[in-house]
Amino acid sequence: MSRTIRGRAWVVDDYIDTDQIISGKYLRILDYEEMARHALEIPRPGLAEQIRPGDVIVAGRNFGGGSSREEAPRVLQVLGIGCVIAESFARLFYRNAFNIGLPALILRDAHTRFNDGENVTVDVARGEVRLEERGVLLHCEPVPPLMMRLLEAGGAVALYKMRTTERVSKQE
Amino acid sequence: MGKTMAEKIIGSHTEEGEASAGDTVEVSVDLLMVHEVLGARIMPVLDEMEVDHVWDRSRIFVVNDHWAPAPDVRSAEIHRRNREFVRRYGIDHFCDVDCGICHQVLLESGLIRPGDLVIGSDSHSTSYGALGAFSTGLAATDCAIIIATGQTWLRVPETIRIDVEGELSPPLMSKDLILRLIADLGNDGANYRSIEFHGETVERMSVESRVTMCNMAIEAGAKSGLMTPNNAAREWVRSRAEGDVGVEVLPDRDAEYVDTLHYDLESIGLEPYVAAPPSPASGRPVSEFEGIKIDQAFLGSCTNGRLEDLRIAARMMRGKRVHPGARMIVTPASREVYMNALREGIIQTLMEAGAIVTNSTCGACVGGHLGVLGEGEVCISSTNRNFPGRMGHREAQIYLASPATVAASAVRGEITDPREEMTR
Ligand code: SF4
Repeated sequence: MSRTIRGRAWVVDDYIDTDQIISGKYLRILDYEEMARHALEIPRPGLAEQIRPGDVIVAGRNFGGGSSREEAPRVLQVLGIGCVIAESFARLFYRNAFNIGLPALILRDAHTRFNDGENVTVDVARGEVRLEERGVLLHCEPVPPLMMRLLEAGGAVALYKMRTTERVSKQE
Repeated sequence: MGKTMAEKIIGSHTEEGEASAGDTVEVSVDLLMVHEVLGARIMPVLDEMEVDHVWDRSRIFVVNDHWAPAPDVRSAEIHRRNREFVRRYGIDHFCDVDCGICHQVLLESGLIRPGDLVIGSDSHSTSYGALGAFSTGLAATDCAIIIATGQTWLRVPETIRIDVEGELSPPLMSKDLILRLIADLGNDGANYRSIEFHGETVERMSVESRVTMCNMAIEAGAKSGLMTPNNAAREWVRSRAEGDVGVEVLPDRDAEYVDTLHYDLESIGLEPYVAAPPSPASGRPVSEFEGIKIDQAFLGSCTNGRLEDLRIAARMMRGKRVHPGARMIVTPASREVYMNALREGIIQTLMEAGAIVTNSTCGACVGGHLGVLGEGEVCISSTNRNFPGRMGHREAQIYLASPATVAASAVRGEITDPREEMTR
């Protein structure tokens, strides 16, 4: 994935759990666009409306703790979020994000390094984040190979399809 | 170097037959549990994958439990889709809205055995570690792939070993212990790791008490909570499983742990514990919260809605009344629990005390129905999560506690040390 992500950084605190990303009461909404309007409304009311494609969420420790709900990364992706950068991620959120093709980057002291709303450019494969106005370059932890494969394929479903076609053509 | 329970169980489900912490491996799953996530999120992924088969209809367990019976049209639609899926693929194991909470009904089903590798579409799938199975929660996409192939990948976790010694006697419960452990670990203290619980206290516990602990392992971020089977667990499996009673897996003596913690309940002087909002890891002794007025006391959920939980509440409330300033809601974790509680007269005692007893469902725990909190309301709850908005309004306050503390607080209308109410 050579694609670079360009947008604004929106900063949230430590310990933003899945209920704060998307509250349990909205999980029965079947349409993701409709659900996504409620994304992050507990910690950052009104933010969902401001998000434009390519924007980035920046968080502190243990982003996405709690539920296994895939709706959490999904609503962010549906809003156009290009990647999430955090000091650390809860295990399930991390896995779910890559499964749906949303990069999650680990950066030390992440949420203290960004000004809310500033312009950033992210190169996921290199793990580099450029703070445009300030000319600062930040280095994230490298994305593990399996996660990189998921991103390159376009998510777990795409990877599954690639593998099944390979298997079928090998058998033929 | 020896191996932990997680390494052994995961290893035995790989093609190579072996795995070590840090490896990323492909595993064959023994059983997959899915609830409303199936109709809501997994089925669209299966469509996207163009899958029109299931890998093994005898290894999929479908439950309609979170919003059961349906409180609104959306839930009804999700339930309808689940039923249709079950019919279409001839799924062997289905619990509809009359059954109870997924984790409890799955444990009761006899389909979980020591040594199994079980995945659920729910983060509290760690519960089955109480029977010596490796189990964890995954979300929609991973579950869809398992439905199609019976396989998934896992990063083999490092393990934290926790040994507990000492007497845990009523009204102290395993909930107090796990709230204390999570407070010590922090809510990401076991992130990406597995926890093994050992020691004489765990060895003596009922299956119910053990499930409470493994259930909440995820609240410290753990991938799984594991216990070696004790007599209670063996008896549980023997009386429910048909024939196959599994293979007990013990950690090697020289297994490598990232951390080993020892707790002696007498020397730490464990007290009833309460976790204040907004985190299950914020537990402190109940004395620090005594006197906080409550609007609702909730006794239920996969954490603490079992027979022993209802039993201790009834014992504390017999002949007393729920405080006029509060309401108490009791949601037995399953139909089986409910029926047993009926037979024992527990339901009658609780209702005579003024409690509202609902059907078995997740209900109030997930802010779905049957006990949703309003703005600024305070609830003491036997559940596992007190995140903002979890049980209703985001300004509602949820205090997590044991069933004994919930019952004592219901009687006094404020957070109460159950030891006081017990001796009255
Ligand atoms: S009772 Fe609560 S925690 Fe348990 S499965 Fe239901 S919603 Fe989840």
